[in-house]
Amino acid sequence: MSGPYSREKTMQKKISTNTIQTKYYKWIYLFLTPSILVFLFFYLQPIVTIIYTSFTKWDGFNHPQFIGLENYQKMFTNSAFLISLKNLVAWSVIAATLHVGFGVLVALVLYQRPKGWKLTRAVFMIPNVISAAAWAMIYKFIFKDDIGILNNFIRVFIPEFHVQWFYESPYAFWAVTFTWLFYSVIVTLLVLNDLMAIPQELSEAARVDGASKWQVIRQIHLPLCRNAIGTGVICSITARVAMYEQIALTTVGGPGDDTMNIPIILVKSIQDLKYGYANANGVIMFLLGILTLVAVNYIFRMNESVY
Amino acid sequence: MKKSSNILFTVLMYSVMAFTIVVSVFPIFWVIMSAFKTNAQILSSPFSLPTSISFDAFAYLFEKYNFVKYFINSLIICTSSTLVSLLIFSMGGYVIAKFDFPGKNLFFALFTITLLVPAQAKAQPLFGLVMKLDLYDNIWGVALVYLSMGLAMSMFILKASFMAIPKSLDEAAAIEGAGFFTIFWKINFPLAKSGLATAGILMFLNNWNEYFYASLLTSADDTRTLPLALQFFTEAFSYDYTKLFAALTVVVLPGILLYILAQEQVQNSVASSGIKG
Repeated sequence: MSGPYSREKTMQKKISTNTIQTKYYKWIYLFLTPSILVFLFFYLQPIVTIIYTSFTKWDGFNHPQFIGLENYQKMFTNSAFLISLKNLVAWSVIAATLHVGFGVLVALVLYQRPKGWKLTRAVFMIPNVISAAAWAMIYKFIFKDDIGILNNFIRVFIPEFHVQWFYESPYAFWAVTFTWLFYSVIVTLLVLNDLMAIPQELSEAARVDGASKWQVIRQIHLPLCRNAIGTGVICSITARVAMYEQIALTTVGGPGDDTMNIPIILVKSIQDLKYGYANANGVIMFLLGILTLVAVNYIFRMNESVY
Repeated sequence: MKKSSNILFTVLMYSVMAFTIVVSVFPIFWVIMSAFKTNAQILSSPFSLPTSISFDAFAYLFEKYNFVKYFINSLIICTSSTLVSLLIFSMGGYVIAKFDFPGKNLFFALFTITLLVPAQAKAQPLFGLVMKLDLYDNIWGVALVYLSMGLAMSMFILKASFMAIPKSLDEAAAIEGAGFFTIFWKINFPLAKSGLATAGILMFLNNWNEYFYASLLTSADDTRTLPLALQFFTEAFSYDYTKLFAALTVVVLPGILLYILAQEQVQNSVASSGIKG
């Protein structure tokens, strides 16, 4: 494109964009209004409500009564809530290490483009297009004592083996963990995306310099997909904060409070018409989500460029 | 030395791939296979293939229960909420992508920061809202909540795809005398179709699989969605495994079929949602 022509064009562009804009302010805000309404009614109003009512005693019929920090005090002295926090920490650590680690491992393998890598990628996605509810049920059957494949497999070697994985302590915690542990395809896709963006010359140069495959992976590939791994960690920890079906459809928090978590407590409080208490739990979930984001951003230095 | 390390590398690579495939499909395969066995076969030989193919359990499910109804409920709720939210968010994403106006950055920041709010944290207020609108136990109540869910993610995706459409097209149309709405609807909307498909597929899949709000906002049989049917079936026939497995199969298959039909698109969608997430 020649110089003067394109300059003329940009000038023309500037003028016409401006005229379009001033002429259409009304339209612009009209177009924005539906999104703003969604934001107001389904995000802002709920968040303001949960924060405000978390300081009240409220049954949904009478007016909320201000009780200060009582709900929070009750939460932090309630053993079910404390166990939920402990579980959340344990699940988050497992998610950030084993779950994300497996996803990264699969990505590194697929990046080598072995035979069948596309099929593997496509198949790995299947667990993710099925509802978490269905997946929880499938694992409930896998771990069932009489018909489950796990126990039937073990009984081939140890004939009298009987364990109710979802109903016995301490196995229940691990049974719930297995409903999601290996399904980290999102991490795989994210990391794979970043790996594909690494300039080929980089790995080739390293190989020419005598680096082994392992060294290339450890020193070049992994550091360069730091952001994708960090995003994966955030996604998988926030999914633990919000984990519901995997517990509600299997153990419902039991045995005892072994597999309790905050969403289960929250739903139970709504059913018991303890709205103030339910919303205090909601506030904690909200804060935990923000905490995760900030912490992982900091640890993975995600705001800095990788190159 | 070099050679043995290479062999080790290859063996490891294929073991990881084999393991991935097994954990992803074997459980589903086992469920589908069991749906065709008798209860006795499931109990006595959980690993064997069914000896004869029997659709009795499926026939029973569709006869005795409103399975078709659950399916239609899911379909109506997900299709309507996805289409309406696509329209709403594409209008928002379009003006944010293409125009400068006071409050633009603020609105975009507010819309996208909603990504941080766990869906369950808002349970009580949204429950209250649906009650107030008298939409409890009504599929439109569920659809209403669903249509708000993809706000942040759709804004990211749609804003980016509208930004990729050259402004010169809008100007040319404006000079031809096209109005604001025509420029959006006739020029930009069709050209943003890959972004719209991405956001649409993601929202549809999320809604299709959503369990939490569906269980919170409905209780009657004729408002049940497919994921909810699962819970109900475990209670209804707790020891009739054939029917349970058949029910699971029916719940799981539509999602898988949809995925097989739009495989590439789904994979791209998930990858791009993660990047923004």
